[in-house]
Amino acid sequence: MFPRKLTTLIVAALSVCIVFTSLGPVALAQKKKAPVEATPPPLREEFKFGEVDLEVLEQADLLDARLERDGLVFADESANAYLRRIGKSLIPRELELERVSWRFRILRDPQPNAFALPNGSIYVTTGLMTLIDNESQLAAIIAHELTHVMRRHTYVHNRSNRKKFMTMNVMAAIGAYAPGGIVGAVIMVVTTVAPFIMVATIYGYSRDLEREADLKGIDMMISAEYPPEEMVNVMKLLDKDFEGENIRLFYNDHPSLDERIKYLSGYLGARADKVTPQMELHRERAAYFQNVESVMRHDLQLAVNAGRARSAIYLAQRLVDFHPDSENLFWLAESYRTLGPRAPQLTERELTNSAKKDAAKKSLKRTAEEEERELLATPAGKENWQRHQQMAEDLYRRALNAENPVPVAHRGLGMLYEKLERGSDAAAEYEKYLELSPSASDRARIQRRIETLKEKLK
Amino acid sequence: MSARSIVLVVLLIVSGSHQVHAQFIHPKIKSKETTIRRVVVLPAKVNVVRDSMKGPEGMAAESDELSVRVEKMVAEVLSKQKHVTTLPTTPAGTEASTDGDAQQKYNVADFQSKFDELLPKIMKKRSDVKKGRFSMGDEVLNLNLEKGTDAIVFIRGNGKKLTSGKTAMRWLVGGVVPAYLQLQIGIVDARNGEVLLYTDPHFSGDPTTAVDRLRKALEKGFKKLPE
Repeated sequence: MFPRKLTTLIVAALSVCIVFTSLGPVALAQKKKAPVEATPPPLREEFKFGEVDLEVLEQADLLDARLERDGLVFADESANAYLRRIGKSLIPRELELERVSWRFRILRDPQPNAFALPNGSIYVTTGLMTLIDNESQLAAIIAHELTHVMRRHTYVHNRSNRKKFMTMNVMAAIGAYAPGGIVGAVIMVVTTVAPFIMVATIYGYSRDLEREADLKGIDMMISAEYPPEEMVNVMKLLDKDFEGENIRLFYNDHPSLDERIKYLSGYLGARADKVTPQMELHRERAAYFQNVESVMRHDLQLAVNAGRARSAIYLAQRLVDFHPDSENLFWLAESYRTLGPRAPQLTERELTNSAKKDAAKKSLKRTAEEEERELLATPAGKENWQRHQQMAEDLYRRALNAENPVPVAHRGLGMLYEKLERGSDAAAEYEKYLELSPSASDRARIQRRIETLKEKLK
Repeated sequence: MSARSIVLVVLLIVSGSHQVHAQFIHPKIKSKETTIRRVVVLPAKVNVVRDSMKGPEGMAAESDELSVRVEKMVAEVLSKQKHVTTLPTTPAGTEASTDGDAQQKYNVADFQSKFDELLPKIMKKRSDVKKGRFSMGDEVLNLNLEKGTDAIVFIRGNGKKLTSGKTAMRWLVGGVVPAYLQLQIGIVDARNGEVLLYTDPHFSGDPTTAVDRLRKALEKGFKKLPE
């Protein structure tokens, strides 16, 4: 047996060692520089599946099934086929990965986002598909996600996290039985600080993997002959924070968008032979909008439902610019009606991180209706509401006079007039809507509104 | 009995008890202006994780099973205790096309999302349900439920199960939250979207195996709902 003092010294040394051995791979990973030459396909060679990895894989398969079952996957065959075509064009033909079956799906979510599951399922949200400008940008997103799968990032990250959590728990146990005296104090300090270091390394490692996916994604784009500079443009689009929701936290699992733009531009500077001519991009944009117009309209519906009016206006305006004399006018009108008394854009002050945090806290304390009531009590809110309801009304009228009139614009007008307390006009518009769309899925709702309005008018 | 044993006994009692958080009822229910006789229970979303020494691990299959069990038990408790009938989400005899099926699936999904957006606001000030402050709007009618449906039940939950390693750590070191299941249940008026009841039953213990505890927690959770 060792003397007590020696034992405590060994325990202290051991706890310090545990922290540093678990930090080792991360510190090394952080020092790695991006490779200069393209290395497609970005495979993680000789990946051996362990029991833990198979459990992760099973969870991924179940998540796939859950998203489908919960009605969160957009079931538009042509849009999904388009996504699949782009995805497949990025994957090298001869490539076969163990336990990966490629699936490309559109997720019904107005927030711009994309993610990959380790089983090969790639999800792009309707919000992101609507935000981007062209097929090359969509390819950039998919290439990034494909890299996560090809490099087995989920498994690698999970394995690394498990080691770190184990270390944290062992440290907590050591800390709980720390002896007194200076050695005990040292152990206490080390075991108290260790969890913070561990959490920082977990997020740091995650950011490293994201960086790798960005850079390898560029290589994949080049291999598939997509203009790689569109990866940078995607980041710039994601930086547009219409709703003031991109809050930087103390710990972040992705590098900041500024940082991503910077290192991608740097990497690209050395790699790109040419920048795609503007005319070519315009043509590509038109083709892209043509392919995903149905996704975009569906997303606008989701954005309006979720009260994301500022994003909806930006996105609907782009659709109107692309295809003016169409249903798109109705979506722009809906967006303005939803915006109501809110300002069309957030101010610079409102876009600071602290203001965004305050706004997030405030939004928990009041409902959308309460927010509207508060704003309508202010002169600026009243002015905004007058302007936006006028714009919405004009746009609804234009939608009704379009080449293919949109009956649902009558419903929009009805809702607008109801808010303006023009009861009989509202009821008349609702009736026109039901007359033109007798099998509308919201018939019960509108019928009830008509009855309520008529009751009030009596 | 030493102080240590007393603490141990108290801990055992606390961890084994079925705790129930408060129930908040809309004034229309209290005054019996609105009665709940026929409800539609939307698919429950309950997530549980396994807390191990190597961090939290997903339990997707167990979460799915638990979601179904909670959903069925809510219907059972409402029926036995409050004589409330549960109706299917899609009206019987509806000849829905594939497109119609997809649309109904989207409608349910969108309405579930809407509840998820409202839930944090309700949880922030649950007592405001008693003032009738929360509503999901008349979009609720877009669900096209069977005629005569009084209310829609939304169920959310999260829980944790401890591995044997983590349980040992809990006893040796402390500072580990024991296994639990926390539910949030909202009942919404099927005609105008008003939140009629909010309750958050909770119990300690393995959520994947505790059937009786779940039933008891739910029975207590709906105690104040008038028959």
